[in-house]
Amino acid sequence: MEKHVEKRTVDMRVIGDWVEPRARVCDLGCGQGQLLDYLAQSKGVRALGVDLDFAKVASCVRRGVDAYQGDMTTFLKAFPDGHFDRIICSRTVQELNDPAEVILEALRAGRFVTVGFVNHGFWKNRIHTLVRGRKVRNAVYPTSWFESRPANPVTIADFEDFCRLKSIRIARRVLLLGDWKTPCPAFPNLLAGYALYDLTRGPA
Amino acid sequence: MTDDVELTASRGAGPRHLAPDDVGLVQPRDFVHAAPFEFTSGQTLPGFTLRYETYGSLNEARDNTVLICHALSGDHHCAGWHSPEDRKPGWWNNLIGPGKAVDTGRFFVVCANVLGGCQGSTGPSSADPATGRPYGISFPDLTVRDIVLSQKLLLDHLGVSKLHAAIGGSMGGMTAVLFAIEFPSFVRRVVAMATTSREGAQAIAFNEVGRQAIMQDPAWAKGDYPRDGGPRVGLAIARMMAHITYLSDASMDRKFGRRLTQQAPGSEGSFDVHFEVESYLRYQGQSFINRFDANSYLYITRALDQFDLVQAYGSLERAFGPVEAESLVVGFASDWLFPPEQNRQMALALLRSGKRASYAELATDLGHDSFLLESEGLYALVRGFLERGPGGAPTQA
Repeated sequence: MEKHVEKRTVDMRVIGDWVEPRARVCDLGCGQGQLLDYLAQSKGVRALGVDLDFAKVASCVRRGVDAYQGDMTTFLKAFPDGHFDRIICSRTVQELNDPAEVILEALRAGRFVTVGFVNHGFWKNRIHTLVRGRKVRNAVYPTSWFESRPANPVTIADFEDFCRLKSIRIARRVLLLGDWKTPCPAFPNLLAGYALYDLTRGPA
Repeated sequence: MTDDVELTASRGAGPRHLAPDDVGLVQPRDFVHAAPFEFTSGQTLPGFTLRYETYGSLNEARDNTVLICHALSGDHHCAGWHSPEDRKPGWWNNLIGPGKAVDTGRFFVVCANVLGGCQGSTGPSSADPATGRPYGISFPDLTVRDIVLSQKLLLDHLGVSKLHAAIGGSMGGMTAVLFAIEFPSFVRRVVAMATTSREGAQAIAFNEVGRQAIMQDPAWAKGDYPRDGGPRVGLAIARMMAHITYLSDASMDRKFGRRLTQQAPGSEGSFDVHFEVESYLRYQGQSFINRFDANSYLYITRALDQFDLVQAYGSLERAFGPVEAESLVVGFASDWLFPPEQNRQMALALLRSGKRASYAELATDLGHDSFLLESEGLYALVRGFLERGPGGAPTQA
C-alpha cells in the first residue's frame, strides 16, 4: 500500500519540477484532481482537469480544481493553438482509443505535452508474460482481464518510435527503475518501470 | 419547467414544513422601484414591482447572498411553504434549506419573480397607471437583460454588496450568466444548468408554436382581454406542448407507458381522453391557466428567443470577456430542449476566454427538467462548488 502511494506521487515530484509557476496547465484524465491540486498549491498554476466521470469532476470542483467532463479530443479541439502552457497525459495513454490523435491535438493546443506511462517492456512484465502466460498483474494493474478496462500496453521503445515517426521533439525524459524513484542507468526498455516525457512540436 | 416535480414522500412523520432541513413557512414581499425604468428596447415603465422571497440572513459583509433565478413558468417561491396546508413547497425546495446543497444556514437566498411575469411582479397583466387597465401588449419588449437589471435594483435595495452566487436552470441559467457579464465585480460564482448561450432554432420553434396557440385563440384579442378571461384554450395548449419538451421519451414511457385512463367516456367519442398521458397533459394545461397570464407567456418566450450572447456581444469570448465569476455549467444527457452540447459550448467558451469554469454532465433520463429533480450527485456538485474556498487555486491574472 505504502509503495502504491509512493508511486502516485512520482508525477507530483517530476512534473512539479517541470511546470513553470503560474502556468496554464491541463490534465487529461485528471481523476479527482490530486495532481492539479498539488500543482496549484505548490506552483500557483491555473489548473483545469478533463475526465469522463461525473463523480471525479465533482471531486475536482469541490477541491477547487476546475474540471470539464467529456471527451479529450473534443475538448482539445475547442482551444486555439498553444492555449495551454502544458497538457499532462499521465497514465492515460494506454487507455485511449486513438492515442496519436490525442497527443497530436495536445501538442497543438499546448506548448508542452507531458506523457507518463508504465513501461510494459519492464523485465518483470516480460517474465510475467513468458513464465505465467497470463495478463500482467502488479501493484499498478492489480485486476484480472475481465475486470479491467481495455488497455493498449505501451513500452518505452514503442513510444520513442512514435515520437520519431510523428517528428515530435522529446524535450525532457525521466526514466525510473521498478521502484519509480531511482533513475534508470541503461537499457530503459528493459529496466525502467516508469517513464515520463516532456514533448514539444518540431523535429527531434 | 414543469410544476409537478416528483418529490420523495415526506421523510418521517410530522408536518413537512417543520423538517429540520426545511426553510419552513415563508412569506413573499414586494420591492417597489418608484423611479422610471428603461428597458433594453429603449421603452420605459414609470416604475415596477418585483415580488420576492428570502431565506437565511445577510451576513455582516453583506456578501453571502445566493440569487436563485427561475425558469419560464417559475416564480419567486423557490423553497419553503406559504401555509402548513400547502400541497407542495417552493419549486426548488429539494436544493434549498438548512444543511441542503444551497445551505440557508450559511447563505442569504433571494429569489424574485421576473419582470414581465405574472406572479406578483410587474408584467403585461399589471395595470398601466396611465389608463388603469392592464398593459397587455403595450408592455415594453422584454429581454433577459431587463430581468437582470431589475433584479440588481432589488439586490441593491436589500443592501447586498456582492453575490456569493447566481444560480439557475434553463432561462434561470441565462439570467445567472448574464448577471456575471453585466455586473462582473458583483458576481463571484455562477451555476448555470440545462441552459444555452443562444436560443437555437428548435427551441424558438417550440416557443412559436406556443405563442401561435395563444394568439390564434380568439379570446386573446390582441392581448386586450379582461383579467379573469383571456385565451384559456390557447394557453393550455401552449403549456401542453411545452411540457412535452421538458420531459423525455424514456421518462414519459416510464411514467405513463400506454396505460389507459379510467375516466368515464365523455361526449367526444373516439377522441375522448384515452391514454393516461393525454389526461396528464390536459390536467397540466388546465392547472397552468389558473396561475399564468397568456401575455406574460408571450413576453417571456420572446425574451428567451432573443437571448443570443453571440449576436449581442460579437462572440461568446467577447461576451464572457469581462466576467470575474467562477462558473459551473451543468448539462443533462437527456435534455433535448437545451442539449448538453449547448451547455458544453458555454463552458468551453468561458475557458477559452481564460475564465474559471467547470462543466459536469448528469446521465439522468428525465429530460430538460432533470435540473429540478432529486439527485445526490447534483446536490454534492452544487454544494462543493458553493462551499469551496475562494479561488481554490489562484488562477486568472
